[in-house]
Parts: sequence; C-alpha cells; structure tokens
Amino acid sequence: MTAGRVAQVEPEQPAADATRPARRQPEPPHRRPRLWLARLDTKASPYLYIAPFFVLFAIFGAYPLGYTFWVSLHDWDLLAAEHPFVGFDNYSRLLADGDFWNSVLNTLGIFVISTVPQLLLALWLAHLLNRQLRARTSFRMSILIPNITSTAAVAIVFGQLFSREFGMINWALDLVGIDAIDWRNTRFGAWVAISTMVDWRWTGYNALIFLAAMQSIPKDLYESAAIDGARPARQFWSITVPMLRPTIVFCVIISTIGGLQLFTEPLLFNSGPNPIRGGPLRESQTMTMYMFENAFAPHFNFGYGSAIAWMLFALIVVISLINVLVIRRLGNSTRKQG
Amino acid sequence: MGANSRRRLVTATAAAVTVLAAATGCGGDEAADDGTITLTVDVFGQFGYEELYKQYEAENPGIKIVERGTGTNLDEYSPKLTQWLAAGKGAGDIVAIEEGLLIEYKANPQNFVNLLDHGAAELEGNFMPWKWDQALTADGSQLIGLGTDVGGMAMCYRTDLFEAAGLPTDRDEVSALWPTWQDYISVGEQFVEADTGASFLDAATQTFNTIVLQTAGAAEGYHYYDLDDNLVVDTNPAVKQAWDITMDIIDSDLSGKYGAWSDEWVAAFKQAKFATIACPAWMTGVIEGNAGPEAAGKWDIAKVPGDGGNWGGSHLAVPAQSEHQEEAVKLVKFLTSPEGHIGAFKAKGPLPSSPQALDDPAILEATSEYFNDAPIGQIFGEGAKNLKPVYMGPKNQAVRTEVENAVRTVELGQRTPDEGWTDAVNNAKTAAEK
Amino acid sequence: MSTVKASQHLWSASKLTYATLIVAGLMSIFPIYWMFVVATRSSDAMGQIPPPLTPGGNLPGNIERLFNNPDAYFLTGMINSAIVAGTVTFSVVLFSSLAGFAFAKLRFKGSNALLLVIIATMMVPTQLGVIPLYMLMSQLDWNDRLAAVIVPALVTGFGVFLMRQYASQAVSTELIEAARVDGCSTLRIYWNVVLPALRPAAAVLGLLTFMTMWNDFLWPYAVLNDPENPTVQLSLRALSNGYYNDMSQVFTGTALATLPLLIVFIIFGRQIIGGIMEGAVKA
Repeated sequence: MTAGRVAQVEPEQPAADATRPARRQPEPPHRRPRLWLARLDTKASPYLYIAPFFVLFAIFGAYPLGYTFWVSLHDWDLLAAEHPFVGFDNYSRLLADGDFWNSVLNTLGIFVISTVPQLLLALWLAHLLNRQLRARTSFRMSILIPNITSTAAVAIVFGQLFSREFGMINWALDLVGIDAIDWRNTRFGAWVAISTMVDWRWTGYNALIFLAAMQSIPKDLYESAAIDGARPARQFWSITVPMLRPTIVFCVIISTIGGLQLFTEPLLFNSGPNPIRGGPLRESQTMTMYMFENAFAPHFNFGYGSAIAWMLFALIVVISLINVLVIRRLGNSTRKQG
Repeated sequence: MGANSRRRLVTATAAAVTVLAAATGCGGDEAADDGTITLTVDVFGQFGYEELYKQYEAENPGIKIVERGTGTNLDEYSPKLTQWLAAGKGAGDIVAIEEGLLIEYKANPQNFVNLLDHGAAELEGNFMPWKWDQALTADGSQLIGLGTDVGGMAMCYRTDLFEAAGLPTDRDEVSALWPTWQDYISVGEQFVEADTGASFLDAATQTFNTIVLQTAGAAEGYHYYDLDDNLVVDTNPAVKQAWDITMDIIDSDLSGKYGAWSDEWVAAFKQAKFATIACPAWMTGVIEGNAGPEAAGKWDIAKVPGDGGNWGGSHLAVPAQSEHQEEAVKLVKFLTSPEGHIGAFKAKGPLPSSPQALDDPAILEATSEYFNDAPIGQIFGEGAKNLKPVYMGPKNQAVRTEVENAVRTVELGQRTPDEGWTDAVNNAKTAAEK
Repeated sequence: MSTVKASQHLWSASKLTYATLIVAGLMSIFPIYWMFVVATRSSDAMGQIPPPLTPGGNLPGNIERLFNNPDAYFLTGMINSAIVAGTVTFSVVLFSSLAGFAFAKLRFKGSNALLLVIIATMMVPTQLGVIPLYMLMSQLDWNDRLAAVIVPALVTGFGVFLMRQYASQAVSTELIEAARVDGCSTLRIYWNVVLPALRPAAAVLGLLTFMTMWNDFLWPYAVLNDPENPTVQLSLRALSNGYYNDMSQVFTGTALATLPLLIVFIIFGRQIIGGIMEGAVKA
C-alpha cells in the first residue's frame, strides 16, 4: 500500500486471497494518481453518476408533477382562460365524494386479488426456472410472452374471453353445467376478470426479475446446505428468499405502484359507452380512471382530477410502507427460524 | 469485459447519439417554400369529405388538405382536442365538434375563431335555424362553428328476423305497425313470443335516448336543462315520460342488454342477435360496417315510432391557434355549403343540416343498396326539416351519461325502476355540479 | 453424509417441475394463440360459438391488407418504434447501472434521501402529466417528433431502483474495496467489477425497457399527432379505427409487431441465465 492512500482505505482484511478471484484482476495504474484527484473521484463521482437521472427528471418529471399539484389547488377548467385559486377545496370535496371512495374500494380490491397471488406465483415460477432444464429458453420465453404483446390486443382478447354471450369462458362453464356469469356487470366478476388479465400479463415479468436476481446467489451455499441435510424446500426458504430480499422489496414496491395505478387493463376491459366509467355502477372504476373521467370529458375539471392524482399518491406511499414493513417483519421471522 | 466489448460499447454509444440527434431533427413538417399551405382537418368517425377535398384542391391550387383521425372514436378524440386547446398547440386548422360537447367548447369561445368576423353571417340561411344557433354563443356575438350533419331518426330492422317471427317485412307495412311507442312495445312482445332466438332491440339505453329527444322536442324543446340552464331532470315531464316508456320496454323483456358500442354489441350484429335498432342517419354506416357484406339486403329502414327526433350531428370550427385562419374558414364554408353536404352524404351518408341540400334531388332520390334499396334520402330527409331540436344545457354530456347509465342498471336488473330513477336524478345533480 | 442425492439439490428439475412449467406456459400462450387463430381467419371468428380453435388460411391476405392500409403506416411505425425502443434501452441500462451502483455501493451524503425521492416520484400517476408535458413539448417544438418520446424516457426511476437493489445484493463490497486498494478510479471499478456482476440485471432491465417502450401507447398517442409518423402501437390503433373493427387485421398487425420483441428476447435472454453450472463468480 502506498503511503499516500492510507487515509482513504479502511483497515485491510486479512487473507486477501479469498476476496480476489483470479479472474478479476483490476489493472494496476500506470502511474501513481495524485491524491487530490483520487479524493475528488471518490467524493464527486457518486453525484456525477446519479446526475443524469436528476437532470432529466428536473426537466421532464418535476415540471409535470409540480404542475399537477399546482392545478389541484385551483378550480381549473382546461378550456377556460381563468383558473381561480381554491386552496384545498378540491381535496375536501373528494373526501366527501361517494364515487371517489368507490374507486378506492375497487382499486384496493383489484390490487389485493391481483398483486398478492401474482408475486407469490412469480417467485415460485422463477424458482422452477432456476434449474437445469431442457428447453430452458422456451420455458422462459413462454412466461414472458404475455408481457410482450401489446395491452390493447390482449384486452380485446380477454374482453372476448369474458364476454357474457360470446365468451369462451362462459362457453366452457356451460359445458360443465355452470350458468353464464356476466363478468362485466358484476363487481366481483369484473374484479376477477381484470385481475386475471393483470396476473396473466405481469407474473412472467416479475418472475424474470426474480430469476435474474437468483443468478447472483452462490451455488456453494446450496451445496453446503444440501450436505447438511437440508431439504430443497428448506433451502428455498432459508437461502433463496433471504438472499433475494432487496429484489423482493423491489418487486413489492413496483407491483404496489403498478397495481394501485391500474388504468389500461380495466379501461380496455370496459368496452362500450364511456369505458372510463368502469361499468354503469362504476363496478370496475379504479382511481386513475376516476381521475381521468374528471379531468377530461365529460367533466373537464382538471383541478379535481389532479387532486385525485395526489390522493392516489398518498395512498400508494402508505400501502408501500405497509408492504415493506410486512416484508421486513416476515424476513426477520424466517431468519429467526432459519 | 475485454477490450473488444469496450470498443463495441463505444461504437454503440456513438451510434445512439447520432440516432438521437437525427430523431430530434426529423419528423417535423418542412416549411413549404413553394407557398403551398397545408390545412389539417381533425375529425372523428366518418365525415365523407375525401372527394370534396380533391375538388377543393383542384379549384384552389396552393392548398393541400390532410385529414387526421378518420374513424377515431369520439371517446378518444375529445380528450385530445381538449389537450390541444389547453396547450395552445397541436390542433388542426379545422376541428370537428360533436353536438354533445359543443356546449362545453362554446363556453370558452376564445379558443376558436369567431366565424362572424369572417363573413359567416350571410350563410345563416344555409342551415336550419336551430343548427345555426347551436354554435352561437348566448349573447349571439360569436359563432364558433358551421353545421355539418344532423341526426334524423328512423328505425332499422332485420327483415329475416321479422319474417321468422311472422311479422311483415315491407318497410311501409312495418312503419304502419308502430305509430306510437306503445305499439312498438306490442310488436316487440309479439316478436319475443315467436322465440326466434334473437332479442327485439339491442339496448334500452339507445331507445331511451331516442324517446327522450322526441318527447322533449315535442314538448318544450329541452330535456335535462331548461332554457335558462337550470337542471330540470327531475321536474321535466318529458324526461319522466321517456323514462316510463323505457321501463315498459325493459319490463317486456325486449332488450338484448348489450352495452352500446361494446365488443359484444358489435359481435351481436354479425350474429344477428337483435331485430331492431334506433337509427339516426349515421347509424346506417355503423350497421353496414358491423354486420358486414353478408347481411346486405337483410336490413331495412322504417319510420321511427313517435314523431321524428334528432340525435347527433356536428359542426366544424377553426381553433384560434391555427396559423392559416383565413384559408381554414374558407374551407369550412365550402365543406358546410349545400354542395358540401350533398357530397358528404353521397360518400358516407351523414344527413345534411342544410335545407337546400335536403331539397336537392340528389338527396331525395338517394337509395341504399345495403338496406334493400331503401330511399334513405326521403326517409331521413323528410323528418330532418321538421325536426324539433332539443336544447342542451352546460353539463349535458355528463348529465346524459348519468341518466343513461341509470337506465342500464335497471336493464341489467341491478336496480328496480324506482331505485333507478332516484339514482338518475341524484347522480345527474352531482354531475352537474362538478 | 459425503454424497448428496440428486433430488436434494435445489436446482434439479423433477417431473413435477416440468409439468408445472408446461401448464404455466400453455396458459400464457393460449390467448396469444387465440389471437393468431383470429389473425389467420377473419373477424367473424371473434364472436362465434363454439369458438374455432384452429388457424385458418387467411394470413397472407391479412398481411397484405395490413401493409396496404393507407391509414396505418405500419412499416413506418415499426421502424420508429425500433429507433425509440433501441435508443431508450441503451440509455436506460447505461445510466441506471451507473446510478444504481452509486446508490448501492458508494457512500455519499444524501444518498438515502435521494433514493427515496426517486421511488416517490414513481408513485404519482402520470396520465394527467400528459397535459403539462405536452405543453413543454410544444415550447421545445418537439411535437410530432420522436425526440418527444425518446428524451423524457432516457433514464427511469424504475431502472435506477432495479439496478440499485440488484447491485446491493450481487456486487461484492469486498471486491470494490480491494479494487480501491489497488488504486482504481471509481469509473474503472464500475467498468471492471460492477458491470460484469450486473449483467443479468442489465439484461432484464434492457429487455423490460425495450418491451415497455415498444408497447407504450398513452404518451406517444398524446404527442405524435402526425398520422404519417407513428410508433407501432399508434399504427395498430389506426387499424382498429372506425365504427367497426377489422379484428383479423388488428391481430395480424399485433402478431407482426410482437416479432421484434421475440427477437430481442432471444438476444437478451441468453444473458439472463448465465447457466447454473457455470459456478459462482462472486465470493
């Protein structure tokens, strides 16, 4: 170690060989870097590396965010020239709005039915795919195909599958003697149909993320566990899942955000007059749909719609926090058992 | 990662940057250095102007016309138009506005060119008076659009299903079957008894809309809002009357319960699952498209029960943000002239809002092969000149949506008629205040 | 216990594994297969009972009608989408891996707070942001240009978050420290130590980003209003226009639009699984 670098480096670990596999030998510098350059590098490069995101965000992300918040404080008709300031009036009206709470109920209901089984299924599928399989690529591709196809086309197909009179699912139910279900016009039916669409589309996506993360788990851990007599199930819960914790947190947060912001699938499922309504009794109207309905035709109340957007944001923050806490709690308990 | 991959990465970066630079540059419209002006027309659905554009371009060298949005759904067109107007950029030089939404746009006339400033006043005689008034602001000082088509009402029916049910198929005989809506219901009950496997009509919501426009037109000339813009959905007898008739229709099990414009509704045309459908002039194009060539000659057009009625129709407006206002206004005048109306009718069937056009032999003698050579010009034209318009108040679209959805909840059995009526009134009031 | 039975290995593939995967695969593919059936027949197939389950022979005819459709500009749509998706994928993977690495492994002031800001920004629904963003594009005069679709997407919170989680789990801190000891600059550490470790996540991110951009509809729909310069999703939308839809054409178009994604998947897919037998790289 050169004397000039002592100040930078932490106390060195003994037995350096184990930490440096032969394959990855960083090249020694050709000449000694100046001290201030190295210090500058350590201090400044993190900020430099995260800068591209924040620069782009400042221009294209922050502006729309700030704008919608600003709008939510006004009585803002998109077509009008003047927009009077109303403070938090939009928000208080929202809290008293029955249709708003209906959309919250729908959003949460669909979220629970769709996201929870989806993530568990994705984890399990990734686990199955993380093996010596023949035709590996075909299996991997088959679970990702749902996500590859455009949502619009998928929605048409599922809309047809779940159609009351002409749908394949009702036809199949008929074959086994069950009455046709009016999927679109019952609350639970609509929730199930939409959740099926969502699960079908996103399970493979999450499975792939889990699968990639599983690649970083060293094989030796499994070897030693197997030698110790651990059954495969035990290996899964004690090794795989804890090591995947950051990725699980990621998928939970992303699925929470995506699930609570659900827009395209229920919108396209409700083909007919004003689909944004989610059915005559608003059975499948999610919060984003309600937001859109208020901001554009037929209400054109952009301020009210923006308030809904920010209420949704608050809901997502709350639910994400709850989810992460739950994961942490579960993770700690499995570790105690393991 | 070896040196090779690093080199590849650098090349890829360079390529990406070039592409990005190119993408930033390309795609915009080039400035016309030969002086050609391109006019963009934003439409939804089918207006039938292709031939008219060619004619106009031939007569006006130096003008090029581009149409956007042909065939788009109104549900998609409207947010976009709102977006363009709110941003002050992106709208075409001419935009089509449907009558239901015209009220909203008219409330902010500053977004559009005042056509009265461009000599439109002299064209007033070309249009039916109520059509002209629709685009005029309350104080009469600004005209934001000139009328294209009107609804005109008839009842389209499937001859083969009628035959199977033992009903007459000749259109005059059919028209004689139902002078009133009660007669229509009786015919429907007869049809249901014959058990053909199809329903009598497609959706109660469609029929409701037809009836309410009739009853309102026949009475005071307004339905949900009175002429002073008060919400009268609960007190206007015309609305309750239409509601009660529709409840009878639902009660007699005449409806196929399809959601209008849904995939199922479209499929139901092909599968011949309903025998009649309320038919404004523009619906003929929809029927033809949905039912397909196999059904040619199997559909026919009869008079609508009750007395006339109008459903739908649009105007053409020039957004204030247009950079070619003069030329755009000129094109609008051409397209909405009597000749323009006739040309559009011949192409796609929208019914002219111009009295002169309606009297023209081209309209009066027009027939439709698809509809068993029905004299569509006469059937629709006759009603159009005498139709009694219905005033639409400020939040008409939102209120109408609530009331029709209430009808649908009763149709689907989710609500009783009384509950449905309460819903309709309460939801309409809430919607009107949003 | 010196020998370990094969069945105790977590990565052995039993018959049950195969059976489950086959069922999952079939359920994933069936709706797509159904689309293919309609694409090779005509739109009537959509509403028929009992539904036809075998492909018909209309595919060449439908393809021809698709490319000759004057309103759709399908080929242009495919090319534009390729440009957009390719550029954005490249940029997202690059910048996300840099930022993810920084958040996960480099210590700097405010890193936790900034990360939370990034996650929080993903939580606001974007549909209404279309209006202000559209106004911004109008001021930049990027309306109807691909730049309007490409530039806002060049780095995503999703990408940064994904890479950050993966890096915290897969990149060995000891290795980085050792490299520091050897005097490597941060950039070199990134290049030689971090990036190879991130390869599976980079492949996943690349694949998912490409797919997301390829399938993106709402924003391109708002900002690309020139019907002659669409992305592929806008072309598909133009196909299903009108009061009536020609479903077989729509599905033919969808099938064709999906092909490039399949190709991209095959390319990236190899990177995602290094191969369970290749052995651990990290200590």
